[in-house]
Amino acid sequence: MLISLIRREILDNLMTFRFAAATLITLLLVVANTVVLVKDFDRRLASYNTAVKTHRQKLRETKTYSAGEIRVDRPPNPLSIFNVGFDKRLGNEIWIYHAFVPTLWDAEMSGSDNPFLNIFTSIDVSFIFEVVLSLMALMFAYDALAGERERGTLRLVLTHSVSRGTILLAKYVGAMLCLLIPLALSLILSLILLTTNASFSLGTPDFLRIGGFVLASLSYLSVFYLIGLLISAATQRTSTALMISMFVWGFLVLVYPNMILATIKPSAQLQTRAESAVDEMKQTWDEFDRERKRFLANDAVPGEDWSFGMVGIGGLMESFESSDVGYYYHSYIDFEGLYEEFEPQVPHAQKYFSYLGPRVVNTAERTWLVRKPVLDNIFVKPANSERTLLKFSPVGVYDAATQRLAGTDLLGIRDFFDAARQYRQTAIDYFINNDTFGSLQWFSADKGAADWTTLPQFSFQRADFGANAKRALPDFCLLLITNLALFMAMFLIFRKSEV
Amino acid sequence: MIWHIAKRELYDNLNSLRFALATALLLALMLTNAVVHLREHPGRIQEYRTSATDYWNALTPRTDLYELAQKGPGFLYKKPSPLRFCAEGGEAFLSNRVDAGYVYWGMDDLKGFWSVAYPSSTPNLTNVRPDVTKIDWGFIVGYVLSLIVLLFTFDSISGERERGTLRLMLANPMPRHIVLIGKFLGALMSILVPFTFAVLINLFVISVSGDVQLDAEAWGRLSIIFIVAVLYTGLFIALGLLVSSRVRQSAVSLVILLLTWVTFVVFMPNTLASIATGFSPAPMTSDEFMERKNQLHNNRWRETYSMRDKPMKLSKFVINDAEDQERLNQEHLTQQIAQVEVARAATRISPAALVQHLLESFAGTGFSRHLQFLENVRQYVRQYREFVIDTDSADPDSPHFIGISEGISRKPVSPESIPRFEDSLSLSRDFNDAAIDLMLLMLLVLVLMSGAYLVFVRAQV
Repeated sequence: MLISLIRREILDNLMTFRFAAATLITLLLVVANTVVLVKDFDRRLASYNTAVKTHRQKLRETKTYSAGEIRVDRPPNPLSIFNVGFDKRLGNEIWIYHAFVPTLWDAEMSGSDNPFLNIFTSIDVSFIFEVVLSLMALMFAYDALAGERERGTLRLVLTHSVSRGTILLAKYVGAMLCLLIPLALSLILSLILLTTNASFSLGTPDFLRIGGFVLASLSYLSVFYLIGLLISAATQRTSTALMISMFVWGFLVLVYPNMILATIKPSAQLQTRAESAVDEMKQTWDEFDRERKRFLANDAVPGEDWSFGMVGIGGLMESFESSDVGYYYHSYIDFEGLYEEFEPQVPHAQKYFSYLGPRVVNTAERTWLVRKPVLDNIFVKPANSERTLLKFSPVGVYDAATQRLAGTDLLGIRDFFDAARQYRQTAIDYFINNDTFGSLQWFSADKGAADWTTLPQFSFQRADFGANAKRALPDFCLLLITNLALFMAMFLIFRKSEV
Repeated sequence: MIWHIAKRELYDNLNSLRFALATALLLALMLTNAVVHLREHPGRIQEYRTSATDYWNALTPRTDLYELAQKGPGFLYKKPSPLRFCAEGGEAFLSNRVDAGYVYWGMDDLKGFWSVAYPSSTPNLTNVRPDVTKIDWGFIVGYVLSLIVLLFTFDSISGERERGTLRLMLANPMPRHIVLIGKFLGALMSILVPFTFAVLINLFVISVSGDVQLDAEAWGRLSIIFIVAVLYTGLFIALGLLVSSRVRQSAVSLVILLLTWVTFVVFMPNTLASIATGFSPAPMTSDEFMERKNQLHNNRWRETYSMRDKPMKLSKFVINDAEDQERLNQEHLTQQIAQVEVARAATRISPAALVQHLLESFAGTGFSRHLQFLENVRQYVRQYREFVIDTDSADPDSPHFIGISEGISRKPVSPESIPRFEDSLSLSRDFNDAAIDLMLLMLLVLVLMSGAYLVFVRAQV
């Protein structure tokens, strides 16, 4: 009985104009946007490769260690096609420097050559599904029960020995199978486009992620279909059901996500917290400065000049700078050649820099301890609570789930910065083990240039599928719970309703 | 007769569920819009005033003409529009200032001259908050109102045909175009009632609080914006009538309309923009830009290396170098703007983008406003340079080598004579910018109206 009911539902749905039209539109939109997104990804990948090459080359050309700017780049995520998340938005280039601990708030953006283009929003596959498929689900659902009631066929079906639950289940399964068709077709088409493109190298974990993406999309669809059924069960007339469905859709998809965030007032308290943190960091660096001056005053060379009055071909620089949520120390001394009269200063300078290096690292780490919680409080926490608010609409949950699966969410981006911090540690260890701070090459290429070739290279691997799936799990559960709750509610209403 | 049909239509709608829902939705959105604007706008105004005063206070104490000539006027700021609640226009991504005091190099004895540089605004780089559209009138009209219009009109003819009342109506001695116009006016009125109500509440909230002042010009702009919104509503009503008279079933008509809406309103603007930017020539990359900058400077420098003792040539070098830099900056900016212009032109296929452009133009925000600001800056920069040259040539004792400190007039400059930058919005210029879009929108309405008429005249009842 169930099977024949399901078959009837599928045939009913498949033969309709709305099915054909909606499938066509979904396919068109997904294919057109995939082409655009693939092109965009190619461009980003190319600019990533150029950036890596330029940074390596520039580093190799630097003759002294202190002037070497180690810069690492974040590769674009191929799954950003499905949900772009923060992949294109947050910085993709970070400077690895022993005097500060890098975070995403210090990153720069390379490869975005026209900042004006940000006025256009970019569309990804998940956005298309969010809008089109949810609309389609509601269009399938609004007359599923109310329509049959109006036509009288519902009464007819119920005269057979069919339980109401079976009817609901048949309707649900039949519609979901139909909705799967545009979803699967468009995803297959976009996957074909992806795999024929040489710059995409998708591995098994990526296909697992895409599988997860399909699951998330299906449960998102199911939420909207159930909302539609619920409305359809609760109303007597199709036209009423339709109006309510459309307004619910407009509210959940269009209005709520944009409106709710506008109503949140940014807290002014955070500003003062940031200021006091910067102050604290400044004090730490001031202390460092005093200590180092004491060292300079007590060493064999008179005066407190940190460069020991050395002059050569090249330059030197030292600065303390503050930003909104940071305080930075930066110094380099870069002589291609050193004038002969300064030869006697060299051992003193070496002694000073080998004293200074670990202290700079240490001070940077101490300020990081101050800075980390402030960054979390100012940026991450409000963003997370906003994201929680967004989850009152299925759109927000779906978006979060797919973002996390694709690894383009905040955690995925922070993985990169964790790796960057780790790499900084590696580089510092390398410097300390090779006594780079105390070497002549730290400040002068007099007797041979710095050798960057033995420095370990940076490499970044996206989190594995397990980690991504684990991050996405709460949102998946939320989607499933919503589904269950909606089904229960609908079932209860339908059982009690008159035919 | 028209009036009769329209009235019937209006009464029909007033009692309906969709009318109540639409009113509630529009009202909530407009209220949010007003509250957010009241919260954010005073800060913006304050910031502009402070920075504009800072600019002037930094400029006036300079009585030395060489300092004025070498350092330039400094940062020039864009005046925030009081109507930003009508159209956000991606203002966050358009820099609110131009650096008219960018000095590329300097040494102890010889300083480089200023040139105009265009800082970019990338607030997203450190922003980890979720990405949402701002609730401005552009969003409310472009997305929500158009959807509501479709929900009001999808069954206006097919529904009557299904119920058989259309046949009844046409049995009267009444030409079909009268019926159509009546339907059109009726739908227009039933949508304008909740929309106008929401708009009035919005404006009431904004103007009652003393934080934001709207002057006569702003009200003029608001009425134009309202007319644009009405036109846009008319466009979707015409579309709804067209589809609804062509299609037998209301359900099919709704599907067609919704899918058209999704395609043209939600997806077209951004997809077309991405496609167009992908195919238009990309501006020079930032690396290339920096490289060319250095190269230009080094070339000039090499030319001049041998004539350090000739003041006239040295002065020429300083000025030519600044001109080189400025030309390069300008070229970079022009390339970027050209790419955006192509993208914006491509989005004109979508009526939602058209209305977005129109609202931005008349609200004095967005990209075309940014171009106006840049034009204002260019004019001022010319004026400032002329002022320096004129002041110098008025002094008979000066050797007239402006580029170096010994070659320029030493007479103190009075602060009143220095030209002051004042960014201004001009309605007539906005009208010029928007004329094409406005005409396109009217054309679309007319085409769709005539389409609806043709289809309805031939339709079987």
